Amino acid sequence: MKAIERFAADFDSIMKLSDDNLNNLRKESFEEFRKKGLPTRKEEYWKYSDPSIISKIELELGTSSEYKDDNYDIILVNGNIVKKLKDCKMGNIPDGIKEGELSESILGKKEKPFLNLNNAFTTSGLYLILEENSKQTIKILNLVNNEKSLQAVHPRMEIIANSNSDSLILEEFRIVGNGTNFINSVTEFILKDGANMEHIIVDDFAEETYHVANVCAKQNKNSHFTSHNFSVGKKFARRDFNIELDESGANCNLFGLYFVDKENHIDHHTTIEHKDSHCNSNENYKGILSGKSTGVFNGRIHVHPNAQKTDAIQNNKNLLLSDDSIIHTKPELEIYADDVKCTHGATVGQLDEKALFYLRSRGLSQKKSQKLLMRAYVGEIIDEISNEKLRNELMEMILDRLPEGG
Amino acid sequence: MIKIENLHVEVEGNKILKGVNLEVKAGETHAIMGPNGSGKSTLAQVLAGHEDYEVTKGNVDYLGKNLLDMDVDERACEGIFLAFQYPVELPGVNNTYFLRSALNAQRKHRGEKEIDAMEFMDLISDRIKLLNLKDSLLKRPVNEGFSGGEKKRNEIFQMAVLEPKLALLDETDSGLDIDALRVVANGVNSMKNNENATIVVTHYQRLLNYIIPDFVHILVDGRIISSGDKNLALELEEKGYDKIIEDAKA
Repeated sequence: MKAIERFAADFDSIMKLSDDNLNNLRKESFEEFRKKGLPTRKEEYWKYSDPSIISKIELELGTSSEYKDDNYDIILVNGNIVKKLKDCKMGNIPDGIKEGELSESILGKKEKPFLNLNNAFTTSGLYLILEENSKQTIKILNLVNNEKSLQAVHPRMEIIANSNSDSLILEEFRIVGNGTNFINSVTEFILKDGANMEHIIVDDFAEETYHVANVCAKQNKNSHFTSHNFSVGKKFARRDFNIELDESGANCNLFGLYFVDKENHIDHHTTIEHKDSHCNSNENYKGILSGKSTGVFNGRIHVHPNAQKTDAIQNNKNLLLSDDSIIHTKPELEIYADDVKCTHGATVGQLDEKALFYLRSRGLSQKKSQKLLMRAYVGEIIDEISNEKLRNELMEMILDRLPEGG
Repeated sequence: MIKIENLHVEVEGNKILKGVNLEVKAGETHAIMGPNGSGKSTLAQVLAGHEDYEVTKGNVDYLGKNLLDMDVDERACEGIFLAFQYPVELPGVNNTYFLRSALNAQRKHRGEKEIDAMEFMDLISDRIKLLNLKDSLLKRPVNEGFSGGEKKRNEIFQMAVLEPKLALLDETDSGLDIDALRVVANGVNSMKNNENATIVVTHYQRLLNYIIPDFVHILVDGRIISSGDKNLALELEEKGYDKIIEDAKA
């Protein structure tokens, strides 16, 4: 268990360095993580993804460095803020807790091991408070800068959207350097009454990456959360979305696209907790798999007893470009209220041969024809982005990343 | 332009074409007629390069090259165009984008420079009038939600933009009312010149009232049993396939 020992050693050193009174909270989280250790495939939610592969690697904690890119409003390097927005209430998470902007409980003991691990290493991270009735578009670069060969980073973001605020947040992961990275990121949203939040999360195309990401949203009355998730499979990629519709009239949309090739792996686990009445959720995830890759999609919808008049839709479609790629797709519906509407569907298929022949019969090469059909396939998801400029930029980026057939 | 010699074709072990011979010269229009299941659509698909059809014997020479050696997209770039009997719907693929990509792929193949967006718009607005199609169809996904007639007209519109040397029209008249039939036929006729050729595959004679063939061939059970001029089609219309087959056997 090289990784765990190294985590422990790094944890001891940050405990010595940080003089804030949050050390007890960190300690509680780290102890909880150590007690349970890394999850194994014996656990239901890790059945197809084995995080123990990171246990053999000695991962040194990443440190901050300068980075400049005028395209972004906020830049984090290995989880540390290096560029700030001027006219926005924001700062380091530990400062936010000390100053009472954030609740201490955000660093308390959690159920999920990687959330606890992230908690333990939250010595910086970003908090962002969006004022009532404000309207903003914020582009955040979450840079992983690997000057070392084997590195662990734990980027953390806490975003509070106050009542009736209306925001779009782009969170882009970028990896610099050729080293091996373990990225354990956590992005948490709190949406107050009537807040509208559109979150775009897009990650980098670096091969030697083990990425575990948790995106969580807690939603108050009549709030709207829309998530656009674009991810590319790595050595190991696992992304969880945990949405809690706590109060009536809260809605969420989860849109996702994932590509995975070679012998890479990608796993999405989404959970939507319908806790109160009149909440809608709409989920549409699409994947393209090639080579000898593996994909997992597990979509859980949990309708609690008082969540009457719930309307939940879930769809997962998969395109397999090769005979050796594998997808495990599973809807998981747990419903305890009787007046609800829940639909789900999952498909696995190949590119339409008739459509390919039609395109080729007009002179387009096999490759170009495949790309055109894939472009159409992904377009449905990308079109959901409300901001036209971002939509076009992302379309370009995503088309560049389409896997090759076969 | 194209010379088909003793062409034998199978699909999943079933013999469909059993020795087809046909020569089409530049400037000519040929009609292939035949009862259902005679192999006429197969002939069109094989010439376009569909990979489900296996050529077991025979040669096809196209402008001095061995057509059977070419992939479907290469054939298109060399000037072969198939107007589909059942045009495929392509949800999410924009009609204009698709057509411009196709034209540019063909131009690139011929060593010409790619057409820019402005020039292309001029070209298509000129050709779309020919087929009496609504401009709005250009902005829609290819064939998605098009009526049967619109799909067929869209095929001929694509042909008008791509300007093939050899056009294969596979049952282009099926599902068209008389007005649409005229529009489609006018489109085809207006593109005709001394350098290109057309093979019309049809079950009924009525299309041939508008696209006048130089030669008519009757295909039965995988072989051409009778060839003649446009009067053969009229005779067929009058007598029916059974009688013609009987006459040919005698």
